[in-house]
Amino acid sequence: MSALLWKPEDLLAPPIVKVYQRRFLIAGVVASVIVIIGGFFQPRVFFRGYLISFMDWLGVALGSMVILMLRHLTKGGWGMIIRRIQGAAMRTIPLMTVFFIPLIFGARYLYIWTQPDKVSDPHLRKHLEEVSSYLSLKGFVLRALVYFAIWNLLSYLLTKWSKEQDTPPVRDNSQRFKVLSGPGIILYGFTISFAAIDWVMSLDPSWFSTIYPLIILIGEVLSAFCFAIVVERVLFNYRPMSELLKPEYVHDHGKFMLTFIMVWAYFSFSQWLIIWAGDLPEEISFYLRRINGGWGWVAIALVLFHFAMPFILLLSRPFKRDITRLVWLAVWMLFMRYVDLFWLAEANFSETFTVTWADIAVPIAMGCLWLAYFCRNLSSMPLVPAYDSFASEVLEPAHEHSV
Amino acid sequence: MDEQPTPAPVIEPGYTFGTVTDKISSIVLTRPTSNGWFLGFGVAFLVTMGLLYAIGYLFLKGVGIWGVNIPVGWGFAIVNFVWWIGIGHAGTLISAILLLLRQSWRNSINRFAEAMTLFAVACAGMFPVLHLGRPWLAYWLFPYPNTMNVWPPLVLSVHTVVSFDFAIGQVPGWHTTIFPPYFVAGAIYSGFAMVLMLAIPIRKFYGLEDFITERHLNNSAKVMLATGLIVAYGYGIEAFMGWYGGNRYDAFLLWNRLHGPYSFFYYMLLLCNIGIPQVLWIKRLRTSPFWLFLISGVVLVGMWLERFIIVVVSLQRDFLTSSWGMYYPTRWDWMTFIGTIGFFLACMFLFLRVLPMISIFEMRTLLPEAEVKE
Repeated sequence: MSALLWKPEDLLAPPIVKVYQRRFLIAGVVASVIVIIGGFFQPRVFFRGYLISFMDWLGVALGSMVILMLRHLTKGGWGMIIRRIQGAAMRTIPLMTVFFIPLIFGARYLYIWTQPDKVSDPHLRKHLEEVSSYLSLKGFVLRALVYFAIWNLLSYLLTKWSKEQDTPPVRDNSQRFKVLSGPGIILYGFTISFAAIDWVMSLDPSWFSTIYPLIILIGEVLSAFCFAIVVERVLFNYRPMSELLKPEYVHDHGKFMLTFIMVWAYFSFSQWLIIWAGDLPEEISFYLRRINGGWGWVAIALVLFHFAMPFILLLSRPFKRDITRLVWLAVWMLFMRYVDLFWLAEANFSETFTVTWADIAVPIAMGCLWLAYFCRNLSSMPLVPAYDSFASEVLEPAHEHSV
Repeated sequence: MDEQPTPAPVIEPGYTFGTVTDKISSIVLTRPTSNGWFLGFGVAFLVTMGLLYAIGYLFLKGVGIWGVNIPVGWGFAIVNFVWWIGIGHAGTLISAILLLLRQSWRNSINRFAEAMTLFAVACAGMFPVLHLGRPWLAYWLFPYPNTMNVWPPLVLSVHTVVSFDFAIGQVPGWHTTIFPPYFVAGAIYSGFAMVLMLAIPIRKFYGLEDFITERHLNNSAKVMLATGLIVAYGYGIEAFMGWYGGNRYDAFLLWNRLHGPYSFFYYMLLLCNIGIPQVLWIKRLRTSPFWLFLISGVVLVGMWLERFIIVVVSLQRDFLTSSWGMYYPTRWDWMTFIGTIGFFLACMFLFLRVLPMISIFEMRTLLPEAEVKE
């Protein structure tokens, strides 16, 4: 181990993060009060917005955890530079656990399977009886407990071992990280699949698609990557990020973004093509609902602006290497992630294209609280673990950086 | 903190540009052809002759010599086609995707993985023509004019399209949206199994352990473990949705796989593709050539069974009970299938004998000398 290239205290997040934290907190509290009041008057509308918002912010938190685990398995400078950003996003999982609780009480406004007696269609009623061992409020809560227990445990261990690398005597945890990350990614894939079925797909309990959980999964990873790009851009104005962020890393981040966008498009297109070609009444209903009544415009917008436009932009090498330009696409993609979830969920409730006040206000309220918590997490640890043996690649001055 | 567990090298130390070149080229240029080679090639060639015989008889008599009939109109030909195409995919992955990911360990296995792809695709390519019944009309297979504008996006990925061939139909067990990524993962899974089954004996017989090191075995085993888990995910989610979806035909398909006349093969498939490969979590087995060779063989059998289950068990009992039936492959089916394995191996033997099986240039880039100082 050579002498430390950077002192840990110089690697802390800039003080501005604290300022952001306060501002987000104030905005979040004010917005929350407003939406909660709104929620008392229109609980049905409120919870629709709440679910979409919850899935969107949960995606950033969980996606960050996955990318973090991927980095532990593969190494590489691209991951070291955003490691602590993603760690801070991952450590919002406890907050998301709290945010899940209202959904338990709101389930009866969202999921028709909570009240099978009120279903008029005899086929659906019979089907709900058959799957009642799975689609019941009790099962819903118990499974959520398992998911959150696993996610919190993974986040706790990854954070604990990461913290140990900040203060001497430093122990090398890279092997432990590796041992946890392999099974961790599998656990994530398993839990998020069933969470996607429970929380979003079961909004229409008569419809199913085997690739659907993977569309949610890849969306989360994409959200998390875009979020990391936005944060690294904000931090790039200040030390230490201004000296550490090299174009090669930004280039890699752009490539990952392109990859995840393509995978999202690949999964989404596969689902559409197979269901469209099969044209079975119980399956095509999903798309009929989402291409009629104005929803078709949202679908076209997804094709153009969640895939085509970012795909073409990201083919450009200079674009991928320039953080000041890439960041705008990342911001845009975070918005499109929301539009995708909105299109998937909201179309269940309304046959015609509708945006309610809750669809806009709740994500903002929840987002501000989430971001305040994120900022708190971000300033609690140095942006790069100075003692980590793999950190030297990132911490070396640019001119000595060879190959 | 200094004791990082250093991974095994991608090339053993002590080599120079010259020795790398000599070592690889000597196999082709200076070393005499061994008796083992003649024996191996001879056997593979004889089996290839069997293939030609089976094909000749097929053209004379027609597809009636095979076990296909209604309801199972797609039998071994499609099973083998998908299996071989899948194996070919590892070459694509090693050659292109690992290059993009800057995985330098691919350099020593790249060349023969590409060769393997070529031969596997040749084996796969025979079957669409053979199963036509009237092979002299094979040109009818060429894409007819663009219907509903689906052609351009379809050319994007080979195995995805193979999966669409199944999934856009309505047969239970075929019509499921997970098919595209699940087929691609399965393809890479079997492809890496084939790479290992070839690499392990080759490195031993030609003394290439310094180039195809423990690291290569370990990494390939990890890729197999990961893709195998994706395949397992596919089985799992398909079974769950069979129950959850409430479609009685999907539910019956699951029942038929577990309890129907071919259930033995389904359990074997679960054992070969999901059960046994889990031992790859153990590092000692990932780096043991002997065990890895055996496990790769198991995976290849498992992946062949998977295609058999998908093709045959789905068709055998679909919507109408009155048109249920059984499928039994005939000796001609077996002869054709085994014949393609012989053809594949014969091509591999020739490749090993006449071409440098490892790219000399790419191996040299791994040497310390190749690093350019700024």
